[in-house]
Amino acid sequence: MTSRQAGRRLMTARRQSVGSVRGGARRRQGESLTAKDLRRLLQLVACGSVFVALVAAKLLLPAKMATFNEKLSAAMERNMDVQAVFSAVGRAFSGEEGGVGAVYQAVFHPQEEAVQTSAVSQPEEPSEGMTTRKTPRLQDGAALETLRSYRENSASPTEKAPAEALQSASNLAYVLYSQENLPQGVSMEQALLGFDYCAPVAGTLSSDFGYREHPTEGEERFHYGVDLAADAGTEVRCFADGTVTAVGDSSSYGRYCVVAHEGGYSTLYAHCSRITASSGAAVKRGEKIAEVGETGMATGPHLHFELQREGTYLNPIYYVSSL
Amino acid sequence: MSPPCNIRISGGLVLLAAWFVLANGWEPLATVLGAAAVHELGHWAVLRALGAEVTGFRLNVLGAVLETDSRRLSYGGELAAVLAGPAGNLLAALVLTALGKGRWPAAVGANLVLCAFNLLPVRPLDGGRALYLLASWTAGPAAGETAVRWAGGVTAAALAALIAWVMLRTGGSLWLLPTLLASVYWGALPWRSGGCL
Repeated sequence: MTSRQAGRRLMTARRQSVGSVRGGARRRQGESLTAKDLRRLLQLVACGSVFVALVAAKLLLPAKMATFNEKLSAAMERNMDVQAVFSAVGRAFSGEEGGVGAVYQAVFHPQEEAVQTSAVSQPEEPSEGMTTRKTPRLQDGAALETLRSYRENSASPTEKAPAEALQSASNLAYVLYSQENLPQGVSMEQALLGFDYCAPVAGTLSSDFGYREHPTEGEERFHYGVDLAADAGTEVRCFADGTVTAVGDSSSYGRYCVVAHEGGYSTLYAHCSRITASSGAAVKRGEKIAEVGETGMATGPHLHFELQREGTYLNPIYYVSSL
Repeated sequence: MSPPCNIRISGGLVLLAAWFVLANGWEPLATVLGAAAVHELGHWAVLRALGAEVTGFRLNVLGAVLETDSRRLSYGGELAAVLAGPAGNLLAALVLTALGKGRWPAAVGANLVLCAFNLLPVRPLDGGRALYLLASWTAGPAAGETAVRWAGGVTAAALAALIAWVMLRTGGSLWLLPTLLASVYWGALPWRSGGCL
């Protein structure tokens, strides 16, 4: 074959292939569809309708999609601790503690298990596997949830928070100031606690309650507590008498614990190097419950301290500035 | 044509491993890879003992596959080679339990999970292959095909239903979704390819 002939052949071959690509769709409709084409067409139709449905839902029902999105991201953050599951299976096999129940616990209730484990092994460093657990479903998870829902609604500030605050104004000593666009579940007022309290750490205030530029993410976010900078290892004292309701580990809070006090109040102590109190324990005001650290999303050793009354975040600064 | 030992690792597996390390840390990855190595070593050892040539090794997101020229293997021999993987895992679990006395629960667990998972009677897994071989050996290849198709379909459907139920009960952890899709896919796979036979 001469090179010319070869060239011509090449040309025709290319033309044929171009033709088949261009006229392919039209011609296929005329002829009977092969099984492969049909499958591809069905795949495209199925994926296309999912796409169209989602776009339509996003345009027509923005509020519903926002809540759906929220649920989706919460579900995506829930993760299984593979090491813990394998360990539970291994222990069940060698006939140790728990058995099948422990395996089930490890697979499906990572949060509750995290609390239990850290409560049992509190003098030691919590195992590395625990750091992979996210979104605590306990009381304190509300902070993350609120943060997340706030992010969704940040374009249109909610009217709810000031209205709620006004309703409960009778219980409050005095209104210091109010802010128009507070996120949901936040009150800027100083409440009368009705019990004795003390500052958890004698440190310097490094970040206040309220809107601030997020130190690691860079954007404007609401800060639901106060940051008290102190050396790592400084003891964290309990704010008031109460019961430890949660000890856990999360990607943002690091090692943290929650203490419930009387009158529906609760306090949260985050980024600790270790938690010395165990879950369920009764604690006294001033009692050591943890040590300052920089676990979780932190840029230096400090205590992130939150105060809540029945799910509403209060500014803790009124109660820690006394020291 | 093919080199005596060709190894192919898919990019998807590397990405999966990267994600796994990101989400769980390197220790579980080492545990899983260790158990997988024991598993493949089990297959390989029996294949070598039976004189079969291992022609290649493929690693992809669905697992590791040893390519072998099994045409000369008897039903019994092939069955032994197929079951050697899970058996290797079981042996490793027993040995680790006996030696470690509870010191390496994660490694024991990983071996047991891999063993149990591979024994599911769904075709790409050892359990499915073993069922096919056993049924073919005793009642002929057609019966083997039927058996593995039904067992695979039913097991995969049951597994998918179980995962869906668990997802609903636990409020939907999305990490279960790929498992659910994989089990549905595996259940449907032998039926679809059946059209070409």
